[in-house]
Amino acid sequence: MFRMKKGFTVLSALALSFGILAGCGTANNNSSGSAANTSSDSTAASNSASSSTPVEIQFYFTGSQNVKNLWDQLTPMFEEKNPDVKVNLVYIPSGTGAQPTYDRILAAKQAGKGSGDIDLYEDALSFVTQGQKDDLWDTLSTSSVPNLAKVDSKTMEDVANLAVPYRSSAVVLAYNSEKVTAPPTTLDEVFEWIRQHPERFAYNDPSTGGSGSSFVTTTLYKDLPEDAIHSDDPAIEKDWAKGFATLKELGPYLYGKGIYPKKNQGTLDLLTSGEVDMIPAWSDMVLEQLDKGQLPATTKMQQITPGFNGGPTYLMVPKLSEKKEAVYKFLDFVLSPEAQAVMVKTMHGFPGIELTSMPQDIQDSFKGVSEGFRNFNVGDLSKEINKRWQSDVAAQ
Amino acid sequence: MRKEVKMGIFGLCLVIPSFLLLSVIVVIPIILSFIESLRNETGGYDLSRYMYLFTDEGMRANIVFTLQVTIVSCVIVLAVSYALAVYMRFSSGRLVDLIRKTYMIPIFIPGVIATYGLINLLGNHGWLSRWLLLFGGTLPRIIFDQKGIIIANLWFNIPFTTMLLSSALAGIPNAVIESAKDIGAGRLRIFFRIILPLSYKTFLVAVTFVFMGVIGSFTAPFLVGPNAPQMLGVSMEQVFSVFQEREQAAAISFFTFLLCSLLGYFYIRSMVKEETARP
Repeated sequence: MFRMKKGFTVLSALALSFGILAGCGTANNNSSGSAANTSSDSTAASNSASSSTPVEIQFYFTGSQNVKNLWDQLTPMFEEKNPDVKVNLVYIPSGTGAQPTYDRILAAKQAGKGSGDIDLYEDALSFVTQGQKDDLWDTLSTSSVPNLAKVDSKTMEDVANLAVPYRSSAVVLAYNSEKVTAPPTTLDEVFEWIRQHPERFAYNDPSTGGSGSSFVTTTLYKDLPEDAIHSDDPAIEKDWAKGFATLKELGPYLYGKGIYPKKNQGTLDLLTSGEVDMIPAWSDMVLEQLDKGQLPATTKMQQITPGFNGGPTYLMVPKLSEKKEAVYKFLDFVLSPEAQAVMVKTMHGFPGIELTSMPQDIQDSFKGVSEGFRNFNVGDLSKEINKRWQSDVAAQ
Repeated sequence: MRKEVKMGIFGLCLVIPSFLLLSVIVVIPIILSFIESLRNETGGYDLSRYMYLFTDEGMRANIVFTLQVTIVSCVIVLAVSYALAVYMRFSSGRLVDLIRKTYMIPIFIPGVIATYGLINLLGNHGWLSRWLLLFGGTLPRIIFDQKGIIIANLWFNIPFTTMLLSSALAGIPNAVIESAKDIGAGRLRIFFRIILPLSYKTFLVAVTFVFMGVIGSFTAPFLVGPNAPQMLGVSMEQVFSVFQEREQAAAISFFTFLLCSLLGYFYIRSMVKEETARP
């Protein structure tokens, strides 16, 4: 059965790569021609200030439906103000399409075909670092995208100015306020709460979702130096021992005496059905599900100090894109307080720019949740963490 | 002679397309992933990936767990399906009609949806436990446990297996059974001497189907199963996409293939036996 599946995978991968190669070939021939036309057109347009065909940029993004809704809302706002740029949205539903998009950019580069007709790409941190190794992304600066100055400079350093962290999400404790009156505020208090309330806490299998992964990572790095969370040096692995011992010791106190549901949604389901009283969860998922009434209204959130790790989602500009000027304009708009406010309202995410640049009402709404939010960047080590967790904690 | 050669070439021409297709989508990938599974961490070739399968405690537990689930599922599925098929073949009435009309419904329900349905039904706060609570009982842990996977396997496999066995039983002529009755054979005797031998071959096909379906299953074990030990399918996915150890995943999948081909061997051997036994 699995042989067959693998056979199909290999075959379809082959077919797909041929398809992409072929597609790139033709698409690029066209686009390089039209790009030359449109760019000369647009300079002509700006000179004579008359109407002409706008520069069309191809924006590939991936994510859940809420990400698509966000861009469907933001793009017309941008185009209205910038009639000389048209943003063509290419939505790839999360799960299947993300890797091929990256491969396509890489393949186009290796084949000497520019950026594969992709001018802007949205994905997670791992693709930023992968592209850093493959030298795919354009280095961004405040001179081309002025609003970058509003982004936390540390976050930009983490990605070597290769990507724009336009929105983020944090992991917080979500709890049932009817059962929990004084939620824990530090990690040690969380551990203590778990021990005192057997089977009322759950975190998901870290290899299946970010909220469980955050709980595990935060536990492992609890007593390590602060800058360890920005290092991918394998020497640190031996220092995880204490954290893993804690996780193992907590096992019998967790839901079902050591059951770790799959996916971020797995633990949220348990909170909804009342099987547990507290979980680590993504703040945007909690807010959205509260909004839709999927989670009981008694659900509240609490961030601990130092915070669980969260993470931004990044926008990357392929180095070989021919329409960078237009892309910079778009990025500048995305980082404007106006666009960020839409993002906060529709996605319930954290703004990519610093809160002080946001309208007052939004600043107020993040009180208690955004404090102590930390960015982890441990690179390939996260793979090792999942592996060790599976053998040391799950299979105890 | 010339005609025979011609016929031979014609026969080959008929076989070659399907043979090519088979080799491209089945044989070559198997060989490729076997070669891949032999690569060790330093890039050389040895059996270290297979050593890991049998020496690592977690992985060994996964193998034992998978075999347990598979064997238990096979036994229950075949027992239930056979009983159902025999009942539908030799009885009549409203109940039989109802079963005949409804037993195939699970085939038409997508696996993921059925699995979530099972979680809602059998979970800790599911319908079943709420009903039980009314009578003061409590439900043992089914979801996130081996039992959950087995129940899901029953749901997925019983309809098809029953269908398969029903068609085999439908092929047994009434005349044979009636003549056996006429010469005084009892019910049990008819079953063991006539019905069972005549449906034995289909039974073997059914075993093969259920075994392979269960051993390679993913959705239900992933959503309903425990974190450890895991079914091999879930473990393979984890090793492949989370730990990103392609070679190790290839070793697991090749091992699964060997388990399946072992069953395939017995199946083919019995088929060949039948063929040669014919005059």
